[in-house]
Amino acid sequence: MQLGTRKALDKAFSGLGIVSILLLVTALVVILGPIFVRGSRAFVFRGTVEYRRLMFEKYHRGRQESLESEMAEAARARQPVYDMIAAFEEELKGMSFAQRRRWRDSLDELKDLLRRLLGPFPGRKRPVVIREQYGETRWDRAQVTVHDVLFVESYDYSDATKMGTLVYAPRVEEFRGTSIEPLFSYVETHAREMLRPRRTFYWRFLFDESLDAHMFGGIWPEMLGTIYLAVGAMLFAVPLGVISAMYLAEYAGEGRAVSLLRTFISTLAGVPSIVFGLFGLAFFINTVHVSSSKSVLAGSLTLAVLILPTIIRASEEAIRAVPNTYREAALSLGASRLRTTLTVVLPAALPGVLTGIVISMGRAAGETAPIIFTAAVSVGRPLKVWQTLTQPTPALPWNICNLATEHAAQEEIVHVQYGMVLTLILVVLFLNVVAVALRARLSKKLKG
Amino acid sequence: MTAISAVAVLFIVAFILKDALPFFRLRGVAEFFGSLRWYPSGEPAEFGALALFVGSGLVTLGAIVVAVPLGVAASLCLSDVLPFTLRQIVKPIIEVLAAIPSVAYGFFALVVFAPLLQRQGGHLLSVASWVIGLPLLALVVLVASDLFAARWPERARVPVRLLAFVVLGACSVWGLMQLGRACEQIEIPSGTNALNVSIILGIMALPTIVSVSEDALQAVGRELREGSYALGATRAETLTKVIIPAARSGIFAGVILGIMRALGETMVVWMASGNAAKIPSPWYDLTQPVRTLTATIAGDMGEAEQVTGAARYHVLFALALCLLIFALLANLASEWIVRRARARLKGS
Repeated sequence: MQLGTRKALDKAFSGLGIVSILLLVTALVVILGPIFVRGSRAFVFRGTVEYRRLMFEKYHRGRQESLESEMAEAARARQPVYDMIAAFEEELKGMSFAQRRRWRDSLDELKDLLRRLLGPFPGRKRPVVIREQYGETRWDRAQVTVHDVLFVESYDYSDATKMGTLVYAPRVEEFRGTSIEPLFSYVETHAREMLRPRRTFYWRFLFDESLDAHMFGGIWPEMLGTIYLAVGAMLFAVPLGVISAMYLAEYAGEGRAVSLLRTFISTLAGVPSIVFGLFGLAFFINTVHVSSSKSVLAGSLTLAVLILPTIIRASEEAIRAVPNTYREAALSLGASRLRTTLTVVLPAALPGVLTGIVISMGRAAGETAPIIFTAAVSVGRPLKVWQTLTQPTPALPWNICNLATEHAAQEEIVHVQYGMVLTLILVVLFLNVVAVALRARLSKKLKG
Repeated sequence: MTAISAVAVLFIVAFILKDALPFFRLRGVAEFFGSLRWYPSGEPAEFGALALFVGSGLVTLGAIVVAVPLGVAASLCLSDVLPFTLRQIVKPIIEVLAAIPSVAYGFFALVVFAPLLQRQGGHLLSVASWVIGLPLLALVVLVASDLFAARWPERARVPVRLLAFVVLGACSVWGLMQLGRACEQIEIPSGTNALNVSIILGIMALPTIVSVSEDALQAVGRELREGSYALGATRAETLTKVIIPAARSGIFAGVILGIMRALGETMVVWMASGNAAKIPSPWYDLTQPVRTLTATIAGDMGEAEQVTGAARYHVLFALALCLLIFALLANLASEWIVRRARARLKGS
């Protein structure tokens, strides 16, 4: 090969490596980008007057006078809509039966959409279902509904060779020549006055209970469930893991039994998480009966088994990294081996041990498969501490999956879905950042 | 205390086995491993898990195709190409990829990626074929034209090489354009399919592969590198002829761990693989939905829990047992490889 080619090959090879790194970074950006952008809309969005009414009536937030004056303003803007519908209904009464039937269905559909946009019509009985008591609370959703009011969705099958294409026909065509015709241009131009969107920062998304199956409100039960599960798993796994690591690093020799132990522990790390879930169900619930059915306790125990190898490995490494001079100094002062380990080696290794603990806490918070059968339910209230022994809980990872696959009104809770994912990722990343900070401190300390 | 954590493994095996054995006692082995018909709640119920094994194998294979070349290239770049400061930036990125919970990946696959694939699938595939094909073909063309030119007499080499480079380059660009156009034609009926899951699983397996193989590459040591450079080898030659062979076993162990990560992953495949218990035809057609072992366990337990004791319930444990056996074997294999490599390095 020529020298020039060899050099070019060398460059190309490095280029290939850099391309792969760039692809990695792209993957991260592509995955996190939409989650961060859309997830933030759960916290920062344009809330309509309906949102403020909901907040006042269900959570007692906001000032009554300002809300009332705002509602009055909005009602004034909405009045023409209701007037036009009433006028059209009058007009219908004067028509023949056949004509009336022609309009009836279209009118009902229109009224349904307006109800969705603005809430129940004035003077009607208050609906029982919460989502029917209010109009669109978010301006982005309201714009979608306005579009639905203005246009009818239909499919164009004129080209028989292809699938039908989606077309939007103006709804006003259905009502051409009637007294309701101006309603559409009015809704289009006055949507803002009718709903009065205002930039809203809803930080209580994290701390509110949800209303009407996540249609409104926040994700506190899920947050709390995740915290319970992660902390519970730590309570079981940390003592067991750290003591095991101490034994492996300080006491165990190089014998056959010890190497078998190590093999077992590394095997534990490789077991698929869903198998832990089945194990938790078969062992903790069906055999030991820690609780009669799913419970936070059973979930925590299962998660504890799952993260045990991570904690052991990290702690053992940290303990081994403590310089031998520490041990020799302590032993030469007459301290026993146990005392040396507990008072000298362990404190010196503490940042490393903590790093392992924090990282595995993030892992426990994010795992879904092990808690499906042992701890998680789709809907529930926040639990008191003592209830965790016997009751299941909603948890962020499980409810993300649940909302994304099973919720009846997918489109209307998109912001909740993304908000939940964002929250979970931020919690896990925060824990990882803490771990990195601890590690940095550790390396600084060891360098002196 | 340590014993407790070790005993945990035995407990897991024992309890999965305890609930799995009744299934084999009830239904035998032949149907489970031999039949394609998976109708656990049918009347009569059928438990042919072959399609599930194939589904798991298929998405894992897809994940390997995505993750192994990318992961190995990235680890080479991390350990030998990038300067120290850049490495300090890239490493946390990989750690972040590893830290993102699997359900978030599943959510992305289902809510963002699947609709995108369904609407723009062909377009996406053709862009991907360009991104991957162009640098690879450039390398191949470079080497091929050089080898070709080496056969000519000294004086003609430069023009011949240039000519060969241009001709081969044009050919490969034309080939890529054809491939891109072919990809453009592909219509993906549903976004939740094996392709989607394979790509996401590949990304999830990447951090494992990168970090383990980077450790292996670092462990090779300076002496070998310096020796190779001293003989006049370029960096690419040092890497491919000296470092990779020396770190081979470590890289292999990383790949095995990455495979296990992909095979054992539940949430992504459950949410985004389509969950159709049949073998795609032809088998390599990744744009069809599949169903995997893990997704079946997660998906069917909700109904099976009410009939504790029936074959319906125990079959899920039988599936888990198979997963567990895979995990044990993979772990033993990777440990054996690493130990052998360590012994060899010590010996040399």
